[in-house]
Amino acid sequence: MSLSGQFRPVWFASLALATALLAGCGSSSEKSTSASADKPAELSGPLEVVAFKGGYGIDQYEKAAKEFGEKHPGLEIKVAGDPRVWEQLRPRLVAGTPPDLMFPGWDMDVWGLIEEEQLKPLDEALDQPAADGTGTWRDTFDPNVLKLGQKDGKTYLLPYYVMTYGWWHDPGLFAKNGWKVPATYPELLTLCEKIKAKGVAPITYQGQYPYYMIEGMLLPWAASIGGIAAVNAAQNLEPGAWKSPAMLQAATMIDDLNKKGYLQAGAVGMSHTESQTQFLNGKAAMIPCGSWLQSEMEKSIPKGVKLEFFLPPVVPDGKGDPSAVLIGVEPWMVPTDAKNPAAAIELFRYMTSLPKAKEFTETKGTLMAIKGSDEVKLPEVLVKPAAAMKSAKTLWSNQFRSWYKAAEKDIEGALTSLLNGQITPAEFTERCEAAAEKTRNDKSIAKYKVS
Amino acid sequence: MKRAGFIASFLAPAVLLYAALVVYPLIQALTFSTYQWRGVSAKRKFVGLENFQTLASDRDFIRSVTNNLGLLAGAGIVVVAVSLIVAHLTAGPGRSAKLLRGFSLVPQMVSLVAVAVLWQFIFNPEGLFNATLRGIGLGSWTRTWLGDPRYALGSVGVAFAWYAVGFYALLFGAGLRNIPAEVTEAAALDGSKGWHQFANITWPMLWSVKRTAITYLVINVMNTFALVFLMTRGGPDRASEVMLTYLYEQAFQNSKFGYATAVAIGNFAVAMLLSLGILFFLRKDPTASRRAS
Repeated sequence: MSLSGQFRPVWFASLALATALLAGCGSSSEKSTSASADKPAELSGPLEVVAFKGGYGIDQYEKAAKEFGEKHPGLEIKVAGDPRVWEQLRPRLVAGTPPDLMFPGWDMDVWGLIEEEQLKPLDEALDQPAADGTGTWRDTFDPNVLKLGQKDGKTYLLPYYVMTYGWWHDPGLFAKNGWKVPATYPELLTLCEKIKAKGVAPITYQGQYPYYMIEGMLLPWAASIGGIAAVNAAQNLEPGAWKSPAMLQAATMIDDLNKKGYLQAGAVGMSHTESQTQFLNGKAAMIPCGSWLQSEMEKSIPKGVKLEFFLPPVVPDGKGDPSAVLIGVEPWMVPTDAKNPAAAIELFRYMTSLPKAKEFTETKGTLMAIKGSDEVKLPEVLVKPAAAMKSAKTLWSNQFRSWYKAAEKDIEGALTSLLNGQITPAEFTERCEAAAEKTRNDKSIAKYKVS
Repeated sequence: MKRAGFIASFLAPAVLLYAALVVYPLIQALTFSTYQWRGVSAKRKFVGLENFQTLASDRDFIRSVTNNLGLLAGAGIVVVAVSLIVAHLTAGPGRSAKLLRGFSLVPQMVSLVAVAVLWQFIFNPEGLFNATLRGIGLGSWTRTWLGDPRYALGSVGVAFAWYAVGFYALLFGAGLRNIPAEVTEAAALDGSKGWHQFANITWPMLWSVKRTAITYLVINVMNTFALVFLMTRGGPDRASEVMLTYLYEQAFQNSKFGYATAVAIGNFAVAMLLSLGILFFLRKDPTASRRAS
């Protein structure tokens, strides 16, 4: 057969998963008891770690595992990673043979895992001493970040690195043209006019992945206008919250930028790498993106181009906290069927110890969920995100995207139509509300609340 | 009886393999589609035909079916027409024909992922296609090909056609070489040439190849996944969503494996119906009656 690459749906759905399911039927998982705090049992046996292999690679996890293994010679630690690791982990979870410690990456339905009782609650472990023996392990994490992995008061997902969402510019390009980073929306409009006059697109964006615009403009602006409560209400699926005046005004602001020609023409069809390349090559002056931008685009950054982070411009008379920072995490977890959960927990406790967290910050250029881990010589690109996080009175996250994927997809589609000029901001918020309504009424979808 | 047992013993391995690798997974898929299942644990809830009821009124699924059919109507016809032309051009024994034959197969040797990336680059607003349009003074024709709901599906169709033509040209080329030279020579002597010869001699005599090629093309278009997934992700706002990208979304993004399996069965049914329709429509060899007389 010559046209390969097109998969067969029936085979795909059945063979891959049916076999996995079947394989799982017979195996009963043995559950080892976790070591008690006062008298830790010596860790031994196989310990399997499976991690998402993204921009940060897996070398730091391998290094940590090796160091941990030297302290616990009874362990045989295996670390594996893959860029699409979530697809490989699903059949293993179904079969009841997951790894002991996993970092399943950004496209795993982790809340589905919690609903299906596939993850161990880790509170008992969190209340035990930290790796350095002072205070509890729980106390070492930033509580604003730790709470992102909780459901009904139990912690299932542990944070590791923290991403901040905002906008980026090249300070060199800005200085050369006498442009100033806009702190407010009116300043943004003035700046965009100046940039446009120079023949540069003021803003580009990752049109194929509309959540960059949702997290870079729509939600931060709704929060700036109506306060964080406006966004929380939307995340909590409160009736009318997705078509609130704050949401409508935020959508109108995006629409205005578009109509005034401040958003790069054609960006609506670009992938993340395409639009980010446009930005790096000076075709566009600003781009919304998370703090991973530099590591993702490392190889494409032209000489002399620097990336600097700033918070989305705020609405001056809004109710929101102008220092608010939108953050995100890609959590680690221990499956219920893990064969060696005690060792998995101890390894992760070691990975999140202050010296190891600092090491990760320095080598990978990302902020961490561990308090004090930014007290190192930060890579240049991290200075602004770290400062923003430090001075933020509000740290918040868009959990809606991982809780309600079907609604998120509808909202993303509606945003694309708004950006294509096919619907008005009011029609956009109506579509958002309809998506929220559908989710609200769907009993098969578990509901969550921002804590 | 003895003979039957003897034959059965020879058939058994093949039948068993077929049962294990084709029939069993199909039954499994049918079973899955009657469950609500997240695909992250062994826990499933039986829901009967609920998934199919939802599917029948799922506007996004219906849209994806329409898009598949649109791709078939647009890209399918282009592929058949262009590959016939290429087959004719490469039918001769000359060196240029051989060269062209080799050339037309090049896209087939490239992985589909690379094809998608290549065409994404071509259709980029700053890409080759718009640059060419500007270069020849058609700057007003430039579009956001992959980001505009009016053009996204068509743009994917162009990439598909570019990729597929070589393979179908090869099939049609083989068919052309099977038409006896006496037939075309006799037709030429009778004054039939050009379009007349193609419509009355060549096209009818390509019957068996045509049947195979079109059926295969239908199945291929219905099973389009990688090109759409990589070029547009089904966007903008589902303008280029096809059945299998929708299936992927339901299974891996929304964790609705039972529903995704129902989508798979819907996809299977559409492809099956179309293929049977074509086999029925092209069931008679138009040259058979002439040969008999």
